[in-house]
Amino acid sequence: MKHRAESFAKVAVPVRALLNRFALLFLIVAAFAIMLLGKADTLMMERARSSVVDVVAPVMDALSRPIATVSEGADRVNRFFSVYEENAQLREQNARLLEWQSAALALAAENSTFRKMLRFVPERGASFAAARVIGDSGGVFVRSVLINAGTAEGIEKGDAVVNGDGLIGRVAEAGRRSGRVLLVSDLNSRIPVVTEKNRVRAILAGDNSPSPKLSFLPPNARFEVGDRIVTSGHGGVFPAGLPVGQISSVADGVIRVQPFADFYRLEYVRIITEFPGEVAGQIVPSSASPSRQR
Amino acid sequence: MITAAVQRLDRSARQLAPFFSSVFLVMLSALPVYIPGYGQVAVDVGLMTVFYWAIYRPDLFPAIAAFVLGLWQDILVGSPIGLHALILLLANWAIVSQRTFFQGKSFAVIWWCFSLVALAASLVSWVIVCGLNTTIVSPVPVLFQAALTVGVFPFMAWFLARAQHAIVRPLDE
Repeated sequence: MKHRAESFAKVAVPVRALLNRFALLFLIVAAFAIMLLGKADTLMMERARSSVVDVVAPVMDALSRPIATVSEGADRVNRFFSVYEENAQLREQNARLLEWQSAALALAAENSTFRKMLRFVPERGASFAAARVIGDSGGVFVRSVLINAGTAEGIEKGDAVVNGDGLIGRVAEAGRRSGRVLLVSDLNSRIPVVTEKNRVRAILAGDNSPSPKLSFLPPNARFEVGDRIVTSGHGGVFPAGLPVGQISSVADGVIRVQPFADFYRLEYVRIITEFPGEVAGQIVPSSASPSRQR
Repeated sequence: MITAAVQRLDRSARQLAPFFSSVFLVMLSALPVYIPGYGQVAVDVGLMTVFYWAIYRPDLFPAIAAFVLGLWQDILVGSPIGLHALILLLANWAIVSQRTFFQGKSFAVIWWCFSLVALAASLVSWVIVCGLNTTIVSPVPVLFQAALTVGVFPFMAWFLARAQHAIVRPLDE
């Protein structure tokens, strides 16, 4: 009997070791398979990912709040020390903005007169959803954030995401109650843009660096440091005219854009769930809906 | 009868603690911290916990645990799914296979080994990401992350040692 047990052990131990080795091999192959599958069938992976994130989003939401509070407190202390200079700066800026305001009011009045003269069909307003950033990308290879709003709030994959400063990115995955926003600076971000003054079209391509670059430039186009870049609205995915950033460097044909939004301090963002022109506005000519004018 | 059941429950809870504490720590590391640039080079918490448990209690942190933790990290962080699963799996395997070497070694040696593992992990992940995107991505952030992770490791190891002492130690008694 004893002999049998021993011989059993003699066989069982190597078999077990073999199994363990194969388990490792199997897991390595599985990891590669998942990576390739994620490359081939992005939709399936996105769905799997967002359903998991949906479950943990409330926990991350709750956990991220105290951190935000601490950060805000530190910010407040910081600002306290620069309050004098900031005040002077703001006064100066306010004076300048008041001038602009009167100019804007005059232009608005003029504009409305022209519109009346032209029987212009007003565009429908855009609708927004607001969301809190609950997860920062802890990854070196992706520039994305998690937000606590999803399809339940009307958010869809591809929607533009903005904050007070400008464009942040687009919704890459939308779960029911959570979503992932791919930032403008991500390697996979491609956004049709146009320079505000010269109306030169280009694609803003992220490369994981803080300043994405402009590509697909028309020949002989001129760019200067400081030129403002806005979304062009081509392709109909994004509304036109969202401020994106300004050209920060032009060197050896590589034009880099410094985004207006500060990606490091995102706390609340707005998602443009619907905008004029997205549904039918681009197809329906303005004369086709005279009833709406009245 | 009941005490036996409770004891069993207590035992399995302690056995699962290394894995689930790692899951929690990885989630904490994915929260926004509002430090400029930190999100890009955030310390790789998963690698630290996998390394620690592979050295000190590999029986409580098998390869499949490293694999699942990696998937979890990929899902939260947004990296290609399977990337960290592979990295953590390889790290776990590398340490466990060299286990006899680590026995009785000082912390300095272990720290040195961790820096090698972190460097290897960052290089492997860089190569994979370049392959997946079919472009050359800047390797600077990933090397920076490795350096930061190595710098933070002693604190993490201290914390995990306390946790091990408090939660896992009673299993051996």
